[in-house]
Amino acid sequence: MFDQFYLGLSPQNKKQKERVFKALEEKYKDYRDPWGFNLGTIKKDIEFFLPIYKNYFKVRVFGLENLKDKPYMMVSNHTGQLPIDAALITLAMAFEPSSPRIIHSMIERFMAALPFIGDFAAQSGAILGDRANCKWLLDKGESILVFPEGVKGINKKTKDFYKLQHFSSGFYRIALKADVPILPITVIGAEEMFPIVFQAPKLGKVLGLPNLPLPLNLFPLPSPIDIYIGEEVPLGNEITAESTESELRPHIRKIENTIKSNIVKGLDERRQFGDWLRKPINEIMKKF
Amino acid sequence: MSEEQKNKRILIIGMAGGLAKILAKLILQENPSWEILGIDSRDIVLNEKIPGLKTKRLLYSRGNFENLFRDSHFDTVYHLGRLSHGGVIQNGIAERLDISVVGTNRILDLSLRFKVKKIIILSTFHVYGALSDNSIFLAEDSPLKASIKFPELRDVVEMDQTCTTWMWKYQGEIDSVILRPCNIIGEQINNSMTKFLTSPLALRPIDYNPSFQFIHEFDMAKVLYAGIDKLPTGSYNVATDEFINLREALDLIGSRGIPFPISVASAFNQILKLSHLQVPEYLIDYLKYSCLIDNQLLKEHIGEDFFRFKVEESLKLLANI
Repeated sequence: MFDQFYLGLSPQNKKQKERVFKALEEKYKDYRDPWGFNLGTIKKDIEFFLPIYKNYFKVRVFGLENLKDKPYMMVSNHTGQLPIDAALITLAMAFEPSSPRIIHSMIERFMAALPFIGDFAAQSGAILGDRANCKWLLDKGESILVFPEGVKGINKKTKDFYKLQHFSSGFYRIALKADVPILPITVIGAEEMFPIVFQAPKLGKVLGLPNLPLPLNLFPLPSPIDIYIGEEVPLGNEITAESTESELRPHIRKIENTIKSNIVKGLDERRQFGDWLRKPINEIMKKF
Repeated sequence: MSEEQKNKRILIIGMAGGLAKILAKLILQENPSWEILGIDSRDIVLNEKIPGLKTKRLLYSRGNFENLFRDSHFDTVYHLGRLSHGGVIQNGIAERLDISVVGTNRILDLSLRFKVKKIIILSTFHVYGALSDNSIFLAEDSPLKASIKFPELRDVVEMDQTCTTWMWKYQGEIDSVILRPCNIIGEQINNSMTKFLTSPLALRPIDYNPSFQFIHEFDMAKVLYAGIDKLPTGSYNVATDEFINLREALDLIGSRGIPFPISVASAFNQILKLSHLQVPEYLIDYLKYSCLIDNQLLKEHIGEDFFRFKVEESLKLLANI
């Protein structure tokens, strides 16, 4: 029952970790970026978070066969109040595939400006979500992770869990400009880390934050996480980075629909976690 | 070589600075028949006599400049006389604006009136501002945001903007080049960044680690020299392809520095203000956020292998100061 609190690694995982470190050292031996990417910090991150990834969140990854050794614009649903989903996807992409990679996730402007946190994020490969920054990384052959729902995706009320929010089009224009395919990612289980949440956007604004989620539990619950890697979505031939919003929208909708259907599938196949609690909570939260 | 090319007359404004001296030496080494007049409102101390270079201490007044341009027919004018923000700031913003903007305007007008062929103006990458949401590698057409947060940088930004407006207005009559270099470092450079890097009391940020671009003083002088023949009218960022984060830069210089949370530096600076030891407030932001510039436009004209010094070498040379 309490196996999620065991923070050791199995011999098989330890071996895998060593293989991953070796592969990353080889892949990034000449890589430098202007934000301060630091493989030493990343290895420490992996050392620290891997037992949590494996034992606490018991992450399963599906669709690894869809991941080829080339740069991608990875597009994911955003869930769970805190960007833990980004950390878990990043860890999955480093640990699970045969050719490990560090993906660069986008952080909010306010976060990039924070002391310590901004520097730590940059050393770990995260960068400010800016078009020029994304283009630079994609041109260098790196993969990036974007959440086109933005803050609206991550900070949802309990009754809206797993409801995909509107995708902005910026990511698609960058992918067109850099000519890299899109890889849809779906995360299931992160919403249950904080099952009861109230949102206080006005108080958040006072504190200079885009939103302020107030969860009942301050520490994420050990909800099992499933990550689905969808099939690569080729870019439309008839459109360019300068196409109109209405020309891009059908292509973006295709990605939204892929992720939506993976959410439905993922919710059907997710592991049992607090089911005895989920139904009554949902009933109560519908009233708010 | 035409007669005109053989006997060029160059004016360097801001001759007391280290960069001006390296530039004068470089120009005269390459073109011994050229004549250079170097002027400054400060004392001009030369460690060695440079044949072909005359220097003059001169108050930067309208009358003095008019006489200078009337008496000597300059082919090229280098305006390196930007007021430094380093050290203790003694000039108020109004005075700084008068010196930097009105003074520059005067030089531009005189250059036009007295048929100077080319004017090369030294601006700075500081015009873009160190902001947390800066994109990487800002191109020349990026907005100049420095004075939004720090009004004390108004003179730097306005001088650049005045020159740019003037440059395009009179492009048919005079060639103008505006250079916005990244941090110039070297033995003869006395700017805030060189002082910071070589100070035993350099603050070593523990909470931020921005990336920097550095250019060696000699390479910068080479770019200024290339401005005469290789750069057509326009604004150019000046930087090499390399960048380095602040902690690595301090390590290369061998500076141990004082580990310090830069997030509280502004408050600390207010205390230093009481004893007139404060650093320019805007420099604190340059220790927090990166401001990297794009060098593509410059490279189109000077080529890929123009720079002699690698960033590592430039920084290690600073360690010997």
